[in-house]
Amino acid sequence: MKKVFRQNEIYVFFIMVVLAIVITSINRYFFTLENFLDLLRGHSFEGILAIGFFIVLLSGGIDVSFTAVAVVGMYLGVLTVVKTGINNIWLAIAVACLVGLILGAINAVFIGVFKIPTLITTLGTLTAFQGGLLSYLQATRQTVISNPPQSIINFGKAVLFRIERPDGKILELSIYGLIFAAVAIVTWIILKYTTLGRSIKAMGGNMEAARRAGFNILGTQFFIYCYVGMLAGLAGLMLGSYLRYVDALYLVGNELTIIAAVVLGGASIMGGRGSIIGTVLGVSVITIINTSLVLMKIPSYFQQAVIGMIIVVSVSITAYRQKVRERQVRVLDVD
Amino acid sequence: MNDVFLSVNNISKRFGAVQALDSVDLSVKKGEILCLVGENGSGKSTLIKIIAGVVEPDSGEIIIEGKSYKKLSAFESMKSGIQVIYQDLSLFPNLTVAENISLNQRIEKGEKFVNWRGVKEIAERELKSIGKPINPDALVEELSVADKQVVAICRALTFGAKLIIMDEPTTALTKNEVDTLFSIIGDLKKRDISVIFVSHKLSEIFKISEKVTVLRDGKKVGDFTSSELDNEKLIFYMTGKKIVNTPFECKIEKEKLLPLLEVRNLSKKRNFIDINFKLYGGEILGITGLLGSGRSELAIAIFGLNSPDTGEIFIEGKPVKIGSAWQAIDLGICYLSEDRLGKGLFIEKEIGENLEVAILKDFISKSGLIRKKMIKKKIEELSKELNIKTPSLDFTVASLSGGNQQKVVVAKWIAANPKIFILDGPTVGIDVGSKSDIHQIIRGLAEKGIGIIIISDEIPEIMQNTNRILIMQRGRIVKELQTNCTNEDELNRVITMAKAEEDAKI
Repeated sequence: MKKVFRQNEIYVFFIMVVLAIVITSINRYFFTLENFLDLLRGHSFEGILAIGFFIVLLSGGIDVSFTAVAVVGMYLGVLTVVKTGINNIWLAIAVACLVGLILGAINAVFIGVFKIPTLITTLGTLTAFQGGLLSYLQATRQTVISNPPQSIINFGKAVLFRIERPDGKILELSIYGLIFAAVAIVTWIILKYTTLGRSIKAMGGNMEAARRAGFNILGTQFFIYCYVGMLAGLAGLMLGSYLRYVDALYLVGNELTIIAAVVLGGASIMGGRGSIIGTVLGVSVITIINTSLVLMKIPSYFQQAVIGMIIVVSVSITAYRQKVRERQVRVLDVD
Repeated sequence: MNDVFLSVNNISKRFGAVQALDSVDLSVKKGEILCLVGENGSGKSTLIKIIAGVVEPDSGEIIIEGKSYKKLSAFESMKSGIQVIYQDLSLFPNLTVAENISLNQRIEKGEKFVNWRGVKEIAERELKSIGKPINPDALVEELSVADKQVVAICRALTFGAKLIIMDEPTTALTKNEVDTLFSIIGDLKKRDISVIFVSHKLSEIFKISEKVTVLRDGKKVGDFTSSELDNEKLIFYMTGKKIVNTPFECKIEKEKLLPLLEVRNLSKKRNFIDINFKLYGGEILGITGLLGSGRSELAIAIFGLNSPDTGEIFIEGKPVKIGSAWQAIDLGICYLSEDRLGKGLFIEKEIGENLEVAILKDFISKSGLIRKKMIKKKIEELSKELNIKTPSLDFTVASLSGGNQQKVVVAKWIAANPKIFILDGPTVGIDVGSKSDIHQIIRGLAEKGIGIIIISDEIPEIMQNTNRILIMQRGRIVKELQTNCTNEDELNRVITMAKAEEDAKI
């Protein structure tokens, strides 16, 4: 029981419950199944981005280029369907994921082969990826696809089930929730049950030790950045389909929302710590905060301030807990 | 000769202009405990790296269980049962004990998936075989250094280690923990596992080893059994110099003088309780006690970094309030930290610059500019005075050996002209030659009338270099001894008894 309470997830869960209660008391609509299903549809892509970002943090790196990867993946995925006339969602998904994977591999080359610090690399590629897309699009003088093909729109509307309640309310479970859950579970299995996943975590804990023990560090880094890039491409396409509007200028600049979610979920900026459950809870809390602030008609600038505060506070809490733990070890030495 | 596990014959290795090893031999029998000693730069670490297959020798051969290698790869070394435990232990702090024990092996074997039950079983089995009940589910970062070491040893055992090389394993351990480690090493011996033990601490060398191999300047001085060695001989073999350890004699008649520093009823919750002592100019006062006895906390309190709850501090009879390190330095108090790398040095900067910062404020001209030339002269004097061994002051501190780094720290503080100098663990992890240099520097300062406090675990160091000793336990001073009226055994006894009494209360 003691161990349970030491875990960060419990606190985040608690915050979520308190928030839900407070918001429901202000706005009854909040705590309804409809709203929950709506949130799931609208924010699953953020969850997938957060899981990607979490893996990089866990390995001791940091990747801020994921929004650009998502946008490029989304745009090229949809553009392929438009240009080829093959109106098939699988083609769009495949292209988006492949583009993400390639961009991730580019990150991995800089990080793994040239040994450039991850933050510097991805800050650079963040601008370079989006800039590359925009300069390609400049030729066509069009940075949006305002009328995507039907297959894309259908993907955004696809539901697993749909129930019409007697009072006329409609309950729909979007396929997005399923994709999010699948990504979370697959990633969790990789991290928990494969040697690859364990070495990702170990590298985040002590890179030097990993090197000495002969881990395949380059290979692991390629896996990390390619996997994360692929997830970003998928998330981008999900967003475009949901909005039914593909904009090359979208998303970039919103990295901090995702970073806040992951850090709030207990992942350490220093690497090696955190969990998938924590990340999912972190995303939930950030989503609840963001949407409820909208429901309460609070200006979006204030949301920015809140996100910033969440990052600072959660990083401080993690650092403080680390300090307490060190102190405990010192006391143990006395005994 | 069948029971020889490893023998290294005529190994030479050159790095650029430096002959790191010059036809060195070494051999270890099965189940033998060999101590490899030598000063920094004597070639110990190069030799270990060659045995581990990380560095390739220029000439010579390595024979493991009768099989000869001209060069050995890291993989072959590991396959043959050689495991190196580096000083930092190379553990993963964020993983559990069980996983740390088995992860490297799983990677080595190329297993793709994790069988968590198996992981735990292996860990439990190894921990049991070594007789240490550590919770396999605990995170390694929550363990004490001694327990972490046990985890590293268990990990080596899962590889089927036949020879474990430990690089200065006792540096961060308390005396009791060292004893536990030695009993573990004794058990390994019973299992026919050989151990090469690298250490600076003379007392440990005699206690643990059957055979001692001494290196100096890349050459082998010889193999000795520990019975044919004593402190003096060993130091002579290591350094090539006779280092005479005469006990320190305090030349001040303190009855006539005002104490330089007096501490009355100083307390801080959970740090130290009711501390009273006096320090006279020209004295070297030793403070010892187990790690966690509050001695370092007390030292930094006097230095203004850990403000006490109650009590008074007097400097030359005047009551003072010391709220910051700046105030302490202004009052003439200097403090050399236990953690010289983290707190005492700009490790990536040049030696000259490190010295410069300490004296900068005395060399500022009226116009507010820095007098570079005068500073340069001063720091050259300082480095000569302290015998810092470096080709140039433009080298980074990181390029120096531990002993010379420590001299840079000491030089920094001397430049600040202290009246009271507190040195916390001044020779931790430093080789014998530099150690004796540092002791000489400290004594020299005391002769100039500076009041000195040495905080140390090492009983011989305290015995040789102080005139008075305070023993602390759980934040209290439990005993004061005059150095010339006591001996190492009594001191050890007092420390252990104080601990036993504490334990009895709990």
